[in-house]
Amino acid sequence: MWQSLPEFGTGVLYAILVTAAYTFAVGLAAGRGQPRLLRSARLGAYATAGLTLFAIALLAYAFMTHDFRIRYVAHYSDRSMPKLYLFTALWGGQDGSLLWWLFLLSGYTTACVAWLGGRYRQLQPYVIATLMAIFGFFVVLMLFAANPFEATIAGARADGEGLNPLLQNYWMIIHPPSLYTGFVGCSVPFAFCIAALASGRLDNEWIVAVRKWMLFAFMFLSIGNALGMAWAYEELGWGGYWAWDPVENAACLPWFSAAAYVHSTMIQERRNMLKVWNVVLICITFFLTIFGTFLTRAGIISSVHAFAQSDIGKYFVGFMGVVAAVSAGLIVWRLPKLRGKSEIEAVASREAMFVINNWALLGAATFILVATMFPKLSELWHDKVTVGPPFYNRWLAPIGLTIFALMGLAPLFGWRKTSPDALKKAFILPLSAFFGTYVLHIAIGRSLGYPAFVERDVFYPGTVGIVLQKIGSALPGLVVATAAFNVTVVLQEFGRGIAARRRSAEKRNERESIPLALLRLVDKNRRRYGGYIVHLGICAMFIGFVGGAWGIDRETAMMPGQSYKLGRFELRYEGSRMCPGNPRCSPEEQADVTKRMIFADLTLLENGAVLGKLSPAKFIYHRQPDAPTTEVAMRRSLREDVYTTVATIDPQSKRATFQFHLNAFVSWIWVGVLVLVGGALISLWPELSFREVGAWSYLRATAGAGAGVATSVMLAIWLCVSPTSAFAAGIRTRAPAVIDDAKRPFPIAPLGAAVVGLGFGAVVALGRRRSR
Amino acid sequence: MNAGGPSGRRLAAALPVVTIVTAVVVGVAVGVEVSLLVVAAGALAGVIALLWASVQALTGESPITLEEAMTLAAPSAEEEQKRSVLRALKDLEFERSVGKISEDDYAELSARYRGEAKRLMQLLDEGTQPERERVEKALRERLAKPQSVPANGTKEPPDDKEPPAASEHVASTPAASEALPPETGSSSPSSAESEDAP
Repeated sequence: MWQSLPEFGTGVLYAILVTAAYTFAVGLAAGRGQPRLLRSARLGAYATAGLTLFAIALLAYAFMTHDFRIRYVAHYSDRSMPKLYLFTALWGGQDGSLLWWLFLLSGYTTACVAWLGGRYRQLQPYVIATLMAIFGFFVVLMLFAANPFEATIAGARADGEGLNPLLQNYWMIIHPPSLYTGFVGCSVPFAFCIAALASGRLDNEWIVAVRKWMLFAFMFLSIGNALGMAWAYEELGWGGYWAWDPVENAACLPWFSAAAYVHSTMIQERRNMLKVWNVVLICITFFLTIFGTFLTRAGIISSVHAFAQSDIGKYFVGFMGVVAAVSAGLIVWRLPKLRGKSEIEAVASREAMFVINNWALLGAATFILVATMFPKLSELWHDKVTVGPPFYNRWLAPIGLTIFALMGLAPLFGWRKTSPDALKKAFILPLSAFFGTYVLHIAIGRSLGYPAFVERDVFYPGTVGIVLQKIGSALPGLVVATAAFNVTVVLQEFGRGIAARRRSAEKRNERESIPLALLRLVDKNRRRYGGYIVHLGICAMFIGFVGGAWGIDRETAMMPGQSYKLGRFELRYEGSRMCPGNPRCSPEEQADVTKRMIFADLTLLENGAVLGKLSPAKFIYHRQPDAPTTEVAMRRSLREDVYTTVATIDPQSKRATFQFHLNAFVSWIWVGVLVLVGGALISLWPELSFREVGAWSYLRATAGAGAGVATSVMLAIWLCVSPTSAFAAGIRTRAPAVIDDAKRPFPIAPLGAAVVGLGFGAVVALGRRRSR
Repeated sequence: MNAGGPSGRRLAAALPVVTIVTAVVVGVAVGVEVSLLVVAAGALAGVIALLWASVQALTGESPITLEEAMTLAAPSAEEEQKRSVLRALKDLEFERSVGKISEDDYAELSARYRGEAKRLMQLLDEGTQPERERVEKALRERLAKPQSVPANGTKEPPDDKEPPAASEHVASTPAASEALPPETGSSSPSSAESEDAP
């Protein structure tokens, strides 16, 4: 066997295809209600997932043993790579990432089939069959277009080509799996949707089943996109985190439709409305995950993130056609059953707000989709027209602001209709916060360096251009005021909930303290209050986004000893050094034989006081000498990041050209994402009944939810407050720095807390399951 | 081996645990490469067992369990609508408690939801009437029948003390599934808000 691992691996892929086809057929047959066949299909689904695990273990083994007989292994690894990066190379290239996708799908399939158990008997066969059809597509794709086990034509090489240096960092270890987890997670809601349409069981129960799966996928889409932003911010070295690159856009598209779905599903549950809309949203979300994958891999749009051009595009086009045709056909077929009897009774209702919100989210997704495809579409009737970040930023500003405002408005309304009195009561505080913040911002913002109005250029001639320019200029103040509005809404909702609980307890002659009432309120309404916490996270993210308006971007050339003023900071260029070889290099740098590292050492000062050292660098990898990488050095804080890169260094004169960026409030984006994840975890946490499982489980569930939130908060604080350098090796190893690293707060406490929190959460989850 | 039986279940639970523990031990002692082979071997063993069990179930060589038989009847559309209405009622109570709707609106909506819930419950009761009558008839016949006395003179053990083996499996005949009333076969969680996915 070991003489023919490529053939053996390919054989395993064929076996997956056969097993998936068998399970698909048995699943469809079980749709006629035969329990024997359903059990067979369930076992077949487990077996298909097991075979995928077998395949991924084989490929990982090939990487670990440097089996360069396999083309993919030879192309994406070499003997000098550490084991961790050998493992990440599994998804570093196109072929392996498809197998990784399949592996994640097998995990979802196993979890879904195990969770289904005896539930949703009529849906199960079709759920399994749909998941197997997706399996089938990806295996066919690998077998005929992108086989990760394909043999090297000229035989095994002595060494491989190695992984792209840009991919050899910790963000890339976790970014693709997270994003894929989000993408692949949308398969389960889609499978349920197809099952409901095929079986005709279109009542509201299946939508309850789908809700949490979609929320789970949404959470990972958020994490994956945020990690991608963090990777771009730290690795690409252009000073920002989002460049409206086609691949970035493709990754965020399903996020919008998933966000729309997790809101509109509530309307169906509560009001038995929007059934067609909800199934369309689920199908669109799944379609967009496939479309995003197609965009990244087919090579039709040029992008720094895209995989190499290949001929797998036609397979994706075919699959997308099948998905669209099957979804549309089933929806049309079931249209009579999908039509709801209820209607929106008043504009002043929560469902009306949700519908407007849905349209805004879908509008944003459609805009991004069309703009992303525009360069390609424009070729059909005109010369190629490209659209850049300013185009997106100008147009999406009003759409984003609308979504942000609606996010705060919706919770203030009740279902069906809201009386004028109730509305007045609900709006007083948030509107006061909005106007109070806006006035305050206008009054003191400029003196703090964060003005409410930032003048923008007119992007287009004519009225549209002027309107967009005005909105863009007013955006910072409006976003900050809307954030204040949103935060007040959330606090008010918590306050009203706590007050209601305490009133209710008083009626029973009991007493509930505020913390206890808060705990019980969240515990009894996890989905609602978890959602509000997600809104808080999005508020923080918006503050981070709008911080770009107050940023400073500079480019300069300096000689050693010269200084440069950047906002309230000063950067002094101390000189350059090349490692290994320079006596000032650290032992780790001296020992690194894979690359040459050229550092430009800077001292960061504020009001004459030294804050620390930053050492942006250029790395030249021996294997890819023509593609030097830019290494960022920065000092983070919640207020702003001092972000530095070096473009060129003259080896004779030591003259260096730098890019300096003062990025305001960027850390709030990462804080926001972590709060969002904490909120999503609370919403996802399973409901527990006190009577059913007793006080101990109740406590464990509360503690588990608390552990999840605590973990998120700890990680957020650790990430944002500690003044760290993005390029870790740089600052730590410099010659005498004023801030001694020994005195710098090492993040062991928050990290430890995070580990303990996660561990505790896992124990809680296990304990809870056992108690059932 | 019967995959649905106790031995099959024990194997299904033990194989992943044994594989993971062995892989970790081998990974620490020998190296991650061999550890991956252990994972691959465990996965392959599991796949063989699962496919074997799947084919057995397909060909009818393994009977369905009581647990499976109990979940055969899916909840009716009325049952699902009832849950939806009950959820809406619960939500309405919460909205009222936090002052989001006026008392008049609450009274109107609450009456509407309660009326709908009542109608659905009546429909459900009517739907289960034939099964209920059949069960009652069978119970009456059972009680009316004189208890059989074995030749050795000992009484037949009461139903609730029957050995578990006798009730563990139910043949997957249409008659067996038809005999289950929809309520007992309800496959969804009892609580309207109870879910634990994913």
